[in-house]
Amino acid sequence: MLHLTMHLLAAATPPNASDQGYLNTGDNAWQMTAATFVALMSVPGLAVLFAGLVQKKWVVNTMMMTFSGFAVVLLVWVLWAYKMGFGTPLGHGANWKASSDPITNFFANFVGNPGTVLSGPTLTRQASIPLVNGGMPGPAPTGFALPQASVVYFQFVFAAITPLLFLGSVLSRIKFKVWLIFVPLWTTFAYAVNAMLLWGGGYWAQQGAADYSGGYVIHLAAGVSGFVAAAMIGPRLKRDRDRAIPHSLPLVAIGGGIVWLGWNGFNGGDPYFASANAATAIVNTNMATVAALMTWVIWDMVAGPAKKPTFLGAINGMVVGLVAITPSAGYVNGAGALMIGAIDSTIVWMAWTYLSRARFMKRVDDAMGIIYTHGIAGFFGGIMVGVFADPSVVVYHSVSGSPIAVKGWIFGGYPKQILIQFLAAVTIIMWDALVTFLILKVISLFTPLRLTDAELEIGDLAVHDEEAYPDSEGVSRALPGYGETMPVMPAGATASAVVGGGA
Amino acid sequence: MILVTAVIKPHALDPVREALSYVGIAGMTISEVKGFGRQRGHTEIYRGAEYKVDFVPKVKVEVLTAAEMADDVVEAIAKAARTGKIGDGKIWVTAVDSVTRIRTGETGPGAI
Repeated sequence: MLHLTMHLLAAATPPNASDQGYLNTGDNAWQMTAATFVALMSVPGLAVLFAGLVQKKWVVNTMMMTFSGFAVVLLVWVLWAYKMGFGTPLGHGANWKASSDPITNFFANFVGNPGTVLSGPTLTRQASIPLVNGGMPGPAPTGFALPQASVVYFQFVFAAITPLLFLGSVLSRIKFKVWLIFVPLWTTFAYAVNAMLLWGGGYWAQQGAADYSGGYVIHLAAGVSGFVAAAMIGPRLKRDRDRAIPHSLPLVAIGGGIVWLGWNGFNGGDPYFASANAATAIVNTNMATVAALMTWVIWDMVAGPAKKPTFLGAINGMVVGLVAITPSAGYVNGAGALMIGAIDSTIVWMAWTYLSRARFMKRVDDAMGIIYTHGIAGFFGGIMVGVFADPSVVVYHSVSGSPIAVKGWIFGGYPKQILIQFLAAVTIIMWDALVTFLILKVISLFTPLRLTDAELEIGDLAVHDEEAYPDSEGVSRALPGYGETMPVMPAGATASAVVGGGA
Repeated sequence: MILVTAVIKPHALDPVREALSYVGIAGMTISEVKGFGRQRGHTEIYRGAEYKVDFVPKVKVEVLTAAEMADDVVEAIAKAARTGKIGDGKIWVTAVDSVTRIRTGETGPGAI
């Protein structure tokens, strides 16, 4: 993401191909495409990935929470949350400019003024992230070559996927109603703050912490929050937990593939320009992913329980690689990307295999293991920005016009970046754990967080009256208002012929 | 020789298998079936239309054993599968004329 006081050198002068002078049609086309790729990672990507990994009786509930979570985030995003993450610092007026006015309010470094992004001019004018803009006067051109609408939607798909990753920790027992209340509150109090801290120009951005596409803002946040929530909501039914056997590996393949290639938009869209850096981020993303995938498979073959390559192991490795490279995708070179994938995959494989035996890890039922594949993977991925960031990959311009690049220990001789990354991670861990705890504590005063045991026994049918693979045998149509039933339509009959035109 | 057939709640399968091992039963065949008895079915809703589903998922357990084991086997299944609620299922016993082990060609009680 754009770093405070930095401006991407690679951006060319926007050709005036539109009536809006700031707009570069190529940049804007890529931004909307990238955003759509990321949206597809959630729906249907995560919906079918998780659906394949749960038992048959939880498929509908899993997909329903994914789609509804995606929906409610957009509502709070345009009504107040986008501005909290990317707007004017809290307590400062709408016309505030970083270049002329200092931040006077301490909390302004953590969150922005809530506000809507609904009006015509708000959506169509040149995009603006006030705290970042302040550092972007530099040499012409200044600022985004995109309309605000593109940035609002691009940032929305990131805000939306975060609680959906978190969902993996609490699947198969969280109450649907609690999910619908939790997601908007978490987006408001946790995600918007994470985003402001690292991307909106807040405290950690000012300290020089770098999170290219959300190793901390998204993956560490989802892993930690999911773990806390899983502890508070309690485990799945013992019987479900004892045989948490995925019901469809082909669905996992479909979801996993969409998530992998959707990540080209996830990391490739973050420069905000269809630039060389965007292409570098995409190729780095895929290199880290194949390195991590193959590393996981090799660990499985060498040290796994049966010493065999497993498909679900490959999927875990793939996810770890994608998460690992996310914070550094546009800051590292190809060698760094390969190293990051292999190292993070090894760390997470070890944690998945050995740390999972620790008693406190067993006690918390993190259904999909999000704390490993997103929490731990995101944490170390972020640290590795400080190790592998190569200043020759991308150069930004500071307020004064001097070039700045993200430097790490090996290629930039700047080991302090590791410490900055670590402290930013600790902030995210503490804040998100606290917010998750408080939100669920408050909700639990009004309604239980989990379904009843009787509902858990049945699953989808108890919660939604739908099942994933309904049987059409032995079924009769209940006619509303008549209090009686009739057989379902014979094949070939039209609805009106069977129910007398009343349907 | 007899065949004991039981139709039970799917959740009861594990306790039933354990109870049968305990009385010395070394093999069984199970299948997922659907049926209805006194237990009511449920309603499902698709695109606003309500459907009554009368058949409930059950597991059918089949155990081939010596006639003198009949009471023990029936009792073990009944105990393990009982919740006291409607829908616990049924057990029945039928006589078996002959049993052959395919691999060896053995017949009679020794083939069980």
